[in-house]
Amino acid sequence: MNLTRDILDQQVVDRTGQRLGKVDGVILELREGEPPRIAAIEVGPVTLARRMHPRLALWVEGWLRRLGPKSDGTLRIPWSKVRAIGVDVRVDLVADGTAARAWEEWLRDHVVRRMPGTPQ
Amino acid sequence: MKKYLEVALGIFTSIGGFLEVGAIATTAQAGAQFGFRLGWVLLLGTICVIFLVEMSGRLSAVSKHTLQDAMRERFGAGFFLVTTIPGLIVDWLVLAAEIGGVALALQLVTGIGYQWWAFPVAIAGWLFMWKGSLGLVEDGVALLGLVALAFVVAAVKLHPPVPAVAAGLLPSLPRAEGATYWFLAVSILGALISPYLFFFYSSGAIEDQWDENHIGSNRFTAIVGMGFGAVLAFGVMLAAAMVFHPRGIEVERYEQVALMLVEPLGRPGLYLFAAALAVTCFGATLEVALGRAYVFAQGLGWNYTLNSPPTNSARFSLVYTGMIGSAAVLIALGIDPLALTVFSMALTAVTLPLVTLPFIVLMNDPAYVGEYRNGWIGNAAVVGISLLASLIALVAIPLQLMGG
Repeated sequence: MNLTRDILDQQVVDRTGQRLGKVDGVILELREGEPPRIAAIEVGPVTLARRMHPRLALWVEGWLRRLGPKSDGTLRIPWSKVRAIGVDVRVDLVADGTAARAWEEWLRDHVVRRMPGTPQ
Repeated sequence: MKKYLEVALGIFTSIGGFLEVGAIATTAQAGAQFGFRLGWVLLLGTICVIFLVEMSGRLSAVSKHTLQDAMRERFGAGFFLVTTIPGLIVDWLVLAAEIGGVALALQLVTGIGYQWWAFPVAIAGWLFMWKGSLGLVEDGVALLGLVALAFVVAAVKLHPPVPAVAAGLLPSLPRAEGATYWFLAVSILGALISPYLFFFYSSGAIEDQWDENHIGSNRFTAIVGMGFGAVLAFGVMLAAAMVFHPRGIEVERYEQVALMLVEPLGRPGLYLFAAALAVTCFGATLEVALGRAYVFAQGLGWNYTLNSPPTNSARFSLVYTGMIGSAAVLIALGIDPLALTVFSMALTAVTLPLVTLPFIVLMNDPAYVGEYRNGWIGNAAVVGISLLASLIALVAIPLQLMGG
């Protein structure tokens, strides 16, 4: 398996088929005398921004924590939860209520539902 | 039977995506100012767009990825962020131009200024997306869009001289007004080769769950659908060349463009022109707004779908809402829609390689398309034409801004 080719930037999909986000980061565990191994994958705009520049990540995080649901939207998924890697990365959890969906849910409840003409 | 229906729908969809405000405005101006001499640009743009649309469908059918999903995955986060910003700006201007097109058509018919129509048009478009009745719009636009055949009828009735038209299909250098000639040339290319079309088309292929069995019908759809759109656009150029060029009229307002149908078709020509402009631009308004929402949702991994209410894809729905609402402001402020259209089409041409070059890399990567890789002709045509368009646009836009 090639980390950047097969995992990084792939679509993450939960048990129910919801799109959680992209694999924005991979967390490796360094072990004494043994090769490193994948501990977790991370989803979220702050992780994404950190790959550009650490200062951009701080800026994004600051705004996300101050507005709306006050969540930076970062979700760390333990490698043990990863079920399959194909067209998508399938993980064994339910996205609803996690940080990865905090903004989606906040916007749904506070903006979309209040728009005129929204089918309920 | 179902296959034939799919092809028919695909053809109709591509009519809506091909002939819109950009193609009408740029080819009309080109015909008025340079007669048949920019015909070769139309031909070049059509070849390129046929290849690209076919590639969008094939990529999705084989890899089960939309174009944007595949780009984010293959080229990473930095590429996504860097290409998203120019794409967003260009799409926003194009969207305003399309809203302006519908608004102007309404002005032609009602006499009420186009600024007043910006928000009603935006709200109508938004409601169609919000209520999830896009299928209705697609079929409606496709069928009503056939009024654009009026351009072809007009062109034929005006009896353009065949040898001169044929000569225009061969590239030639301008005798005078070089800056305008090249500016219009790249505007035509930008109008025909619209990146939003590829994002939209490949997303549709995924929503319809295409697989390898669709490759044949996809190729047929691309060639026939885009070819048909090209015939319509060619009709616009010929009609404009016959009506305006001999009299030395330069098209500076949309009301003038309508005249090219009034001369051969009489008074109904005005209404046919307004209907063709309104329907095709309305279809394009939805495609551009959705295309950009798809880019964000797929690039960042959000839920996106038009097949269920917006409460199931809040961020996706709010992106197209924000796009269409803010673009309408530009028209409501009274920016000249014709100038905006031609300018935004030229800007599209500048940014083309940002989409087409990575797209070509994907289409040659066996990890995505396996044995269905591009041939060298497709690669060469797309790379050559889009680089050419971008380079000429980079030179022609400043010249036009300084001279115009």
